[in-house]
Amino acid sequence: MTENQAAAKRGGPGAVTLSGRALAVGLRVGGIVIAIALVIIVFTLLSKPNTFFTFTNALGVMRSMSTIAIVALGLTLVIVVGEIDLSFGYMYGLASILIGVAWIVWGWPIYAAIVLAFLAAAGLGAVNALLVTALKIPSFIVTLGTGQLVFGTTLLVSNTATLNPSYPPPGKVVPQGEIDWFFALSNQDLPFDIPMQALWMVGVALVIGFLLSRSLFGFRLKAIGGNPAAAELARLPITKYKFAAFMLCSMLAALAAMLDFAFIGSVQPNAGVSLTFPVFAAVIIGGASLAGGRGTAIGTLSGALLLALIANGLALLSAGSYLSNFVSGAVTIAAVVLDRFTQSLRK
Amino acid sequence: MSGAATVPPSADGVDNAAGTAPAGLRIRGLRKWYGDTRALDGLDLDARPGEILGVAGPNGAGKSTLIKILAGETGADDGEISLGGRTWDTGSEGDRVAVVHQEPQLFPNLSVAQNLMVGREGTRALVRGLTADEKTLLADLAILEIADRPLAEVPLAVQQRVEIGRALARDAAVFLFDEPNSALTQEESEDLFRRMHLLADAGRVVLLVSHRIAELAQHADRVALVLDGLCTTVLEGEALTQEGIAAGLVTGQAAREPEEQITIRAGDDAATALRLRAWTHGAGEFDGIELHVRAGEIVAMVGVEGSGARELVRSIAGFEKGTGQIEIAGREGRGRVASATSLVSADRQTSLFTNLTIGDNMVARLNREITRAGALRRGRMHEIARDLRDRFQVKASSVHLPIRSLSGGNQQKVAIAAAIVKRPEVLVLEEPTRGVDIGSKREIYRLMRAYAQDGHAVIIYCTEVPEVFEAADLAYVVSDGRLSNPLIVMNYPDVEALARAVTRLERHGAVGGGVPAGVAPSP
Repeated sequence: MTENQAAAKRGGPGAVTLSGRALAVGLRVGGIVIAIALVIIVFTLLSKPNTFFTFTNALGVMRSMSTIAIVALGLTLVIVVGEIDLSFGYMYGLASILIGVAWIVWGWPIYAAIVLAFLAAAGLGAVNALLVTALKIPSFIVTLGTGQLVFGTTLLVSNTATLNPSYPPPGKVVPQGEIDWFFALSNQDLPFDIPMQALWMVGVALVIGFLLSRSLFGFRLKAIGGNPAAAELARLPITKYKFAAFMLCSMLAALAAMLDFAFIGSVQPNAGVSLTFPVFAAVIIGGASLAGGRGTAIGTLSGALLLALIANGLALLSAGSYLSNFVSGAVTIAAVVLDRFTQSLRK
Repeated sequence: MSGAATVPPSADGVDNAAGTAPAGLRIRGLRKWYGDTRALDGLDLDARPGEILGVAGPNGAGKSTLIKILAGETGADDGEISLGGRTWDTGSEGDRVAVVHQEPQLFPNLSVAQNLMVGREGTRALVRGLTADEKTLLADLAILEIADRPLAEVPLAVQQRVEIGRALARDAAVFLFDEPNSALTQEESEDLFRRMHLLADAGRVVLLVSHRIAELAQHADRVALVLDGLCTTVLEGEALTQEGIAAGLVTGQAAREPEEQITIRAGDDAATALRLRAWTHGAGEFDGIELHVRAGEIVAMVGVEGSGARELVRSIAGFEKGTGQIEIAGREGRGRVASATSLVSADRQTSLFTNLTIGDNMVARLNREITRAGALRRGRMHEIARDLRDRFQVKASSVHLPIRSLSGGNQQKVAIAAAIVKRPEVLVLEEPTRGVDIGSKREIYRLMRAYAQDGHAVIIYCTEVPEVFEAADLAYVVSDGRLSNPLIVMNYPDVEALARAVTRLERHGAVGGGVPAGVAPSP
């Protein structure tokens, strides 16, 4: 009887707990949607008419968020499995420099240069994962170290020079066909002037979203990140999954680097070093837990959108970059505070 | 019983208390809600100085909430707590209560002496030495000689004494022992109980929260039963017996036939499920084990921490390194271990995914069964989970609820369900019912039995004889890394007889090896 009463007792609140969870998720997603709406309203009111709230500006925001979003989607995988990657920004730099140097200086075909960049990214991800899983070194330390190794390699390979395929160094020739093909990766005449990079971003988001929310890979990634000890006893393939997460994270950084190179038309060795903050901020604002086990593609995408809107709005107001730093820092912390609050509602 | 001489007869205790009733801990109408779940429903409780008050109750009855409130870890929604006649705010006066957990909550990186001083270092910038009073205190607790050792290096029992010392040093009035001896040896437990009696004799309020009915009956002056967020009964004097407590705890539960004595035993012709030859631990916790387990059998490995029993069962599932020969379901080789065994650890912290729902926890070990071309089949997952919930009688209105919404017993059923769903030839469970209420215990034993009868072997690591008696067909006592001869459980008429046999085998093993620092048993 006690058991039955207990069950009945639990049955009642059970439904409430379930709706409480739905409420928390709603608040979380709703929180970002509301924040995005607020930011749009505020900047629309503050900016000169027909600058912020326009279709053209919206397309610009989508393009400018795409780099951070693509890298952040990769980082989300690493965060969900309970690890940290601090090396993706440097990987971004190395990937663009490798493409540039192999293609322009060494005279490789562009396709081979791209393959080289992605191989390097896969290699870095594998090294990160190997040190984390085999030697049990915390990923914070591993990637702090490999990040610097990668940055050093970038400076070495590039000889700290800026590269532009249209203006190759003396004695080198870059086939115009390859330049056209490469630039077309990020510059295509699409209907409504939709930026090509936004399409790449949507494509990556769909893949990562499927992986995280609809696949066995994501299900187990969350289990491993939520409780590594239990995952080990349940014989989940922890090592394999951590390799996959780190490698995908590095390779998405390389993808973002390639697309930016193709869009801008030139590359310089410092590219990517300032990515660490906005990418982490997008993931955190998006609701992923640094403790592991929690994170979604749509959340990360929203986080990147919010940051891009703020940066774009402040730029239109000519607010100066320091204010942009203040605001994005504050928004990141506010997002975590909001998250704590919705978590406490669940209890 | 070493403490007996120092305990006042319970009648005296009652008389004393009657005269000085306000001196103790007085709880009235304590209420606590977690969201819409009621944990405490107006609980009343009196603990008098000079007595040990036992607190018993099934999991989810509100016991742990009561402990948390007294320890100042959470606030009550309503109700009154007074100590020595004055209203007591557990939040701001938390120093007055000392909670001694099974796992001491200390600073493992500091020395024993430093642990005693943390929080009371004084205002000087320099680190001070031990005062004379503190030295006396350490000497009383028999830990003065090891005062400079890092806490992490001393045994659990010593760590608990340090925790007691910390509380004594700040002159705590209430000592709350929360399942304090579940990981201690017999000698260590006895020492702990002797100290509890000393604390009570010194006029402090001592509460003992325990699942171990025998110890409550032996050491407590009164036992309060907590059921459904209320203190329903206080047993004392004549009424305070093991049977009385056990009966009180199951009051209101569905009437059962007397526990059907397990007489099913796999025939000698049953297939071999597991065979170990010269099975030796990588770090020397056990050595040269020979074991033969038939399909359909439940085999218990009995032994305290450090005996090698836990490492042995974990090695069978491949989670401790073992060398030698292992044969599972007729096929030899360690390669079989991963696919043919499942382990459920004693600690639900390491057997469940707290960020997942009940249903997702149940299917977390599945692969092909819940996917199509890498995509999850959510419908199939829920179907499997609902089926498991019904078969395992998990009390949950929906499998989509967070795993944390379940009581300990039901969480354990989920953990076992998740391990069984892969149909391992050998199911290995560490302390399958630790921290689980009596009702759930029976159901868990029934589940284990059903799985064994399906033609599998079930191996459990036990620290408590009643569990062996109720759940196992065969029991091996492990001491000093070696197996005893098997005890056939059905040959013992009652749990006491089995306990005597187990104790005899434990002693026998212990004489040959090292006894944990303390009193060696006289031969």
